[in-house]
Amino acid sequence: MNSGVAVDLENVWIKFGDFVAVREANVHINGGEFFSFLGPSGCGKTTILRAVSGFLEPSDGRVLIGGNDMAGIGPNKRPTALIFQNLALFPLMKVWENISFSMEVTGASAAERRKRADELLDMIALDGQGDKLPSELSGGQKQRVAIARALCANPDVLLLDEPLSALDLKLRQHMRTELREIQQRVGITFIYITHDQGEALTMSDSVAVMKAGVIDQIDTGHNVYDNPSTPFVASFVGENNVFRGKIKSISGEQAIISTNRSGDLLARVTPTQVGKLGVGDDAMMFIRPEALELGADTGNDKTTISANVVNEEFEGNSFSVFLEGDGGKLIKMAVPNVGQDHISDKGVNLSLHYDVNNAIVMPAGELASE
Amino acid sequence: MKKKMIFSEFFRNNGVVMGSLLMGLVGFWLIFLVILPQLSMLDYSFRFNLPPSEVGGPKDVYTLSNYQHLIYGSDKTHQTYNTVDLMVFVRTIIAAMAVTIFNIFLCYPLAYFLGQSKGSGFVRLLVVLLIIPYWINEILRAFALRIIFGDSGLLNEALMFLHLTKEPIDFIRQDIALYAGLGYAYILLMLFPMYNVIESLDRNQIEAARDMGASWPRIHRRIVIPHAKPGIVSGATMVFMLSAGALAAPQILGGPSSLWFTQLVYQWFFNSLNWHQGAAYAIVLLVSTIIIVLTVMRIFKVNMGDIGK
Amino acid sequence: MNSKSLIRIALGVYLIIFFSYLLGPLVVMSLTAFNSSGFPSVSPWACFTYEWFNVLWNDSAIREGIFYSVIIGLGTVALSVSMGLAASIVLTQVWAKFRSTYYTLIIAPILVPGVVLGISTLVFWDRFGKFLGAGDGSMLSNLFHNGIFLTILGQSSFIASYAMLVFVARLQRFDPGLTEAALDLGATHTQAFRKILLPFMRPAIASASVLAFLASFENYNTTTFTIVDYKTLTTVLAQKVRLGINPSISALAFIIITLTVFAALAFEAYRRNQARQEAVKQGKAKVKSGGILPSFMTGNPAAIVFVLLAFVAIVMIGTAQKYSPEQCKIQVREAKQAEIQRRIKELQEQRLIKSQSEARQGPDIFGAPEEDTGGKPSGAFGGVFAPGNLSDDGDTQEPEAEKPSGGSGAFGGVFAPTNLDNGEGN
Repeated sequence: MNSGVAVDLENVWIKFGDFVAVREANVHINGGEFFSFLGPSGCGKTTILRAVSGFLEPSDGRVLIGGNDMAGIGPNKRPTALIFQNLALFPLMKVWENISFSMEVTGASAAERRKRADELLDMIALDGQGDKLPSELSGGQKQRVAIARALCANPDVLLLDEPLSALDLKLRQHMRTELREIQQRVGITFIYITHDQGEALTMSDSVAVMKAGVIDQIDTGHNVYDNPSTPFVASFVGENNVFRGKIKSISGEQAIISTNRSGDLLARVTPTQVGKLGVGDDAMMFIRPEALELGADTGNDKTTISANVVNEEFEGNSFSVFLEGDGGKLIKMAVPNVGQDHISDKGVNLSLHYDVNNAIVMPAGELASE
Repeated sequence: MKKKMIFSEFFRNNGVVMGSLLMGLVGFWLIFLVILPQLSMLDYSFRFNLPPSEVGGPKDVYTLSNYQHLIYGSDKTHQTYNTVDLMVFVRTIIAAMAVTIFNIFLCYPLAYFLGQSKGSGFVRLLVVLLIIPYWINEILRAFALRIIFGDSGLLNEALMFLHLTKEPIDFIRQDIALYAGLGYAYILLMLFPMYNVIESLDRNQIEAARDMGASWPRIHRRIVIPHAKPGIVSGATMVFMLSAGALAAPQILGGPSSLWFTQLVYQWFFNSLNWHQGAAYAIVLLVSTIIIVLTVMRIFKVNMGDIGK
Repeated sequence: MNSKSLIRIALGVYLIIFFSYLLGPLVVMSLTAFNSSGFPSVSPWACFTYEWFNVLWNDSAIREGIFYSVIIGLGTVALSVSMGLAASIVLTQVWAKFRSTYYTLIIAPILVPGVVLGISTLVFWDRFGKFLGAGDGSMLSNLFHNGIFLTILGQSSFIASYAMLVFVARLQRFDPGLTEAALDLGATHTQAFRKILLPFMRPAIASASVLAFLASFENYNTTTFTIVDYKTLTTVLAQKVRLGINPSISALAFIIITLTVFAALAFEAYRRNQARQEAVKQGKAKVKSGGILPSFMTGNPAAIVFVLLAFVAIVMIGTAQKYSPEQCKIQVREAKQAEIQRRIKELQEQRLIKSQSEARQGPDIFGAPEEDTGGKPSGAFGGVFAPGNLSDDGDTQEPEAEKPSGGSGAFGGVFAPTNLDNGEGN
C-alpha cells in the first residue's frame, strides 16, 4: 500500500512551563520500520507521540515526516493516524462507520465507504461484524477495529499508544504477532510506545529506551538486550545482576572491575564506552541470570563467582535460583528446565561461571527502579 | 503576551470557524445580554428623568436623587424619611427570608425521604407529582390560591361550615394568602437541590451512625445536614432571590397593605413612566439581595460553584 | 418497632399535608372551571357546565397571547440553547484560574431578579439604539423597541444559563479523545463538532430545549417589562386575574393541567416501554403473547392510565357539545329568588316584633342594643333593602372590589349580563 515514510526528530525539546518532558531528542526512523519507544510511565514517550501526531508543538527543534517539517501543521493535516490507549472508538457509530470515518470527512459516498470498510473488516478477520456497535465487541475485537480505522485513513505513519495494555496476557501475546504481521503486510512505518519490554523486543525493528525525557539508547532489540549502553537500559530491559565497583584495569575491549563484594571480575566493555572508560572510574557490571552457569571449573577466577543458595523458584520453563555471595550480595541465576527435579539444596555453596562476553561493564549510573 | 497565547491556543484547539462561533456566542451573551444591560441600568439610575428633548442636554447630569428618593421621599430637605417605601423594602426582604426559612423546613423531610429511598415506583410517582404543578404557569398557581383564600373561597367556606368562624376571614388583607402563595411557588426550587445533595450521601454513613447508637436528631444534625449544606444553601439562595423579586404573587394575592418592593418598581415604570427612578429601585433590590446572599454563603462556607442543579 | 410505625405514620401525614398543599389548589381550580357561578368557586356549587370553555375559546386576547408566547418560546429556545452549548464547551477549555470567575458570570443571570433582567434589557437596547444614532421610527430603532425582540433577548439571558447547566452535566461524560481521534483521522474542527460532539449531546439538547421552551412560556417577571406592545399568555392572564376574574381562567388552567398530566403519563409510559424492551433484549423478561391488551400496554400501568384518561376525555368532550346547563341555572335562579323572598319575610317579621317591643319600652336612651341583623344602628335594616340585593345574596361583602386596579370593574362589564342569572356575583 504505502511505501515507507521516514520520521525524524531533530533536537526536539518539549517543555510544559518549567517541566521538561522531552530533552533533546534526536531520532531517525526509517520508512517502513516498526519502531518502539520503551520506558516507564512518565518518561515522555506519550509526549513524543503526540508531538509527532500534531497534538503538541515542540518547544524547540523540528519534527519531520517524509522530510517535511511539520511545524504548524495540525493533526488533521498530517499523514499520521493515531491509535489511542483507550481506543476512542466512536460509541454512537457502527463498526463500519467507525472504520470508514476518514473517508466520511473527505466526502466519500456511503457505498464507497461501506465497500472499503468491508475490505478492512476482512483483513482483520471481523467480516460480517460491520453493523455492530463498539460496545458489542470484545477487547481484542475493538483493538482490531481501531487498527482498521487508522489504516483506512491511508496514513504514512501509524502511531500506537500502548494499545495492548488493557488486554489479558494470552490476547496480548497473540496481538503482538498480529500487529507485526499487519505492519509487514501493509509496509507503513509504525511508531509504537510501550512500557512492556517484551512487546518492544518481539515486535520492533528498532527500540528507543527512554527515561525521564531522555533517550538512553536507540538500537535493535537484540542489541538493547545484549549491549545496553547505560545502567538504566541494562536494568530496565530484561533482568540483570548488577555488580558495583571500580575499574581496575582495561585492555582493549575488556576490563577488570574490582567489585565491592565479589572480588575482581572480568567483563566486556559496552560498545559505546569502548575507549571512554578509564581506570579508577566508578563502574557497574551486568550479567543476566541465564548467563550464569554451573559446571566444570574453568579455573579462571575472574569469571567465577562464589555464592550460597538461599532459595529456588520453579518458573515453568526455568528455575530461578537465588544466591547470596560475600557480604550479602544477592545474585539470581536462571537454569532452563530440562527435567531436573531441582537445582540445589539451600545453603550449598556454588561456584558460578560465566562467559566474559556475557558480562557487560559500563560507567556507573542510575538503575531502573523496581 | 499571555493573552495572545491563550487566544491562539484556543483557536488552534477549536479551529477558526468553531472557535469564532463559540467566542461569538459566549461574548454576545455575556456582553450584550448580561454586562452591558446591567451597566446601562446602573447608568440610568443615576440620571434625571428628563423629557426626550432635554436628554443629552445640560440638565442630563449624574445625580443621586433617584436613590435619595428611596430614603427621603420627595422631601428635598432630607428632614423626613420616606417611611412608606422604606417599610415596603424592609418588609419585602424580611418576608422573603421568612418564606425561605419556611420552605427549608417544609421541604427538608421530603428531600430526605426521596433522597434516601431507592428509586422505587412510588418515589418516581412522587417526583412526577412534584413536577406537575411547576409546569403550570405561576400566574395560574397564584390564581388557584386566590380562589381558595378568597372571601367566598373554599377555605372560608370550609371554616364556616365547620363553625370555626362566623364571618369570612380576610386572608388576603392579612397577607396570609400572599405568604402561602410565595411559599408554594418555589417549593420545587428548594426541594431539588436538597434532594440531589442528599441522594449523593452514602447510606452506609447513616447506617454506621445508627449502628453506633446515634439518635435520629443527632444523625441529621451531624451527618446529613453538613453534607446537605451546599444543597440547602443553594436552594435557599434561589428561593430568597425569587421571593424578594417576585411580582406575580404579590400582584395577585397581595392585599392593599402588603405592597411588594417589585411592585414599586413596576409602578415607577408603568404608572409614573419614570424609568430612572424605577432603575434605581431595581438596583437597590439587586444589590441588597446579592449582599444578603453572599453574606449567608460566607457564613455557611459555601462557594458559588455549589450552586447549580 | 413501635417507634418505626410512629415514624411511618408521621411520614404519611407529612406527605399528605405536603401534597395537599402542593396539589390541592390545582384540583380546586380545576373544579371551579365546571361551576356555572360567575366567580370561580367550589361551594356553593351552582350547576355543572362547560360554558367557560366556550368563553375561553372565544377570548381573542388569550389566543393572541398563546400565539406570541409560542413565537417567543421558539426564538428563546434557538438562542439560549446555542448560547448555553457554546458556554458549556468554553467552560471545559477555560484556564483553571479563570474558571470560577467565568462560571460565576454565567450563572449570575439565574440569581438576578427577573424584573431587573427585564428592565435592564429594555433600558439597554433603547440606549444602544440611540448610541448607534438610530432615529425614532428607523428600522433599527423599531427593532430595538420591539417587544418580541426584547423579550427573546431578556429571557435568553437567564434561560441560557439553565441550558448551560444541562450541557455541562452531559459534557462531563464526554471523552475528549473522541474529538482527537476524529481530528487525527482528518476531520476539520467543524466536522468533528458536527459528527462527534453534537450526536453525543443530542439528548441533552433535547431536554435543554424542552426546559427552555417551558421556562420561556411561563415567564412573567421579565416578560412584563420587555413585552412593550405585544402580549404573551402570562401577561394576558395577569391582566385578567387582576382586573376581572371569571372561571374561563380556571378552564384554561384545567386544560393545561390535563395536558401536563397526559404528557407526564405519556413520558412515563414511553420510558417504561423502553425499559421493558431493554429487559426483553437482555433476556430478563419474556414477551407476553396472547393477551387482550396491545403490546405497548402490557405491564405498563402508566400507559393503561393514559389510555383510560384519554377515553374519559373524549367522552367528556363529546357530551360537552350536547349538554346544556340552562335547565339547572333556571332552577338555581328560582331557588335564589325563593330564598330572597324568605329572607325579606323574615326581616319584616323581625321588624314588626322590634317596633312592637319599642312601642312598649319607649326609645332606648342608652343607645341601641346590638341587633343581630346589622352593625350600625341606623343601617340595621337599610343595607338589607339596598337595590343590589334583589340580585345578590345580602350577606356577602365583596372584598374583591377592593383590589387596587379593580375598582368598579370587579363586576362591572364582565359580569353584568350574567349576574342576573347566577345567584353569586362579586
